[in-house]
Amino acid sequence: MAEEPESALQLPPSTAAEGDGPTEVSPETATPEPPSSASVSPGTEEPAGDTKKKIDILLKAVGDTPIMKTKKWAVERTRTIQGLIDFIKKFLKLVASEQLFIYVNQSFAPSPDQEVGTLYECFGSDGKLVLHYCKSQAWG
Amino acid sequence: MSFSMEEDEFFGEKVFQHYCAEFIKHSQQIGDGWEWRTSKDCSDGYMCKTHFQIKSGTLVSHPETSAHAQTCLPMEEALESPLDDSEVTETDTATEVIKYEYHVVYSCSYQVPVLYFRASFLDGKPLALKDIWERVHECYKTRLLQGPWDTITQQEHPILGQPFFVLHPCKTSEFMTPVFKSSQKTNRNFNYITSWLSIVGPAVGLNLPLSYARAASWDE
Repeated sequence: MAEEPESALQLPPSTAAEGDGPTEVSPETATPEPPSSASVSPGTEEPAGDTKKKIDILLKAVGDTPIMKTKKWAVERTRTIQGLIDFIKKFLKLVASEQLFIYVNQSFAPSPDQEVGTLYECFGSDGKLVLHYCKSQAWG
Repeated sequence: MSFSMEEDEFFGEKVFQHYCAEFIKHSQQIGDGWEWRTSKDCSDGYMCKTHFQIKSGTLVSHPETSAHAQTCLPMEEALESPLDDSEVTETDTATEVIKYEYHVVYSCSYQVPVLYFRASFLDGKPLALKDIWERVHECYKTRLLQGPWDTITQQEHPILGQPFFVLHPCKTSEFMTPVFKSSQKTNRNFNYITSWLSIVGPAVGLNLPLSYARAASWDE
């Protein structure tokens, strides 16, 4: 299968800091992806104000964690790490009790309430933020 | 002299102490409050830090947080009066302040670091295990509460001999190994303690400022 598409996919705009996490994106836009993926949306950045601007995130799997078919995402700056974790877990169809961790610089886990916009400012390069994710049992 | 841990190197007490020393160096640079303490009668040592948490969800660790304020949780408007930096740990209008004390101790039996902690209200009344479980971050609550007795328990501090809460370390090796391995290839300044603490800390109210991530990865 070909590499991930050029255009970044957008996470649903819900404020997913708490609660169930993002719902599936509406299927109104045409998509070349298999049905399990979110819809493709053209372009990455929105022309809206800074607070609404999205940042590009590249997700990389660590260890035995399943690799996401779509690795590049456009995400709102205010999305929290917890929100991103919920999204990835849903995307990978992990059960709620499985733990997923996200890392910057491959080794540091930002706290769940940290916003991706801040991480992008601190650790982003070449116009994107690289995040590693790992499924593991941390407790017990 | 650069220090790098071999892939299959045994995480012994010396390695633990080295990583703690590096961690504390950075803590001192940013005023994050971590200290190294040794026990009087042996060469054992541990890292510790005290901080105060306000129940509304804001995190306050030190009056001089302005330097890295952007990496802390944003202050909410629960506190009505505008605060100077010097007044940050005093709360006239806040509901509840809890004092947390975190200790990073080496476990000989598991050969990993372990997080011990205790918590009390400002009047000195200690929190019970039930209170601790209730305060675990939402992100981890489901999994943690599935087997609460397997995760946070109360045990005697190996050096101080006092009762502390402990995050059980039996899975530490398991979750640290992939991180450690993937990081080894690209990150010569990987700090096991920084990485580990960033993972387990948030579950019990301990959030490391982002600058630790940079410190751990800079080529110096």
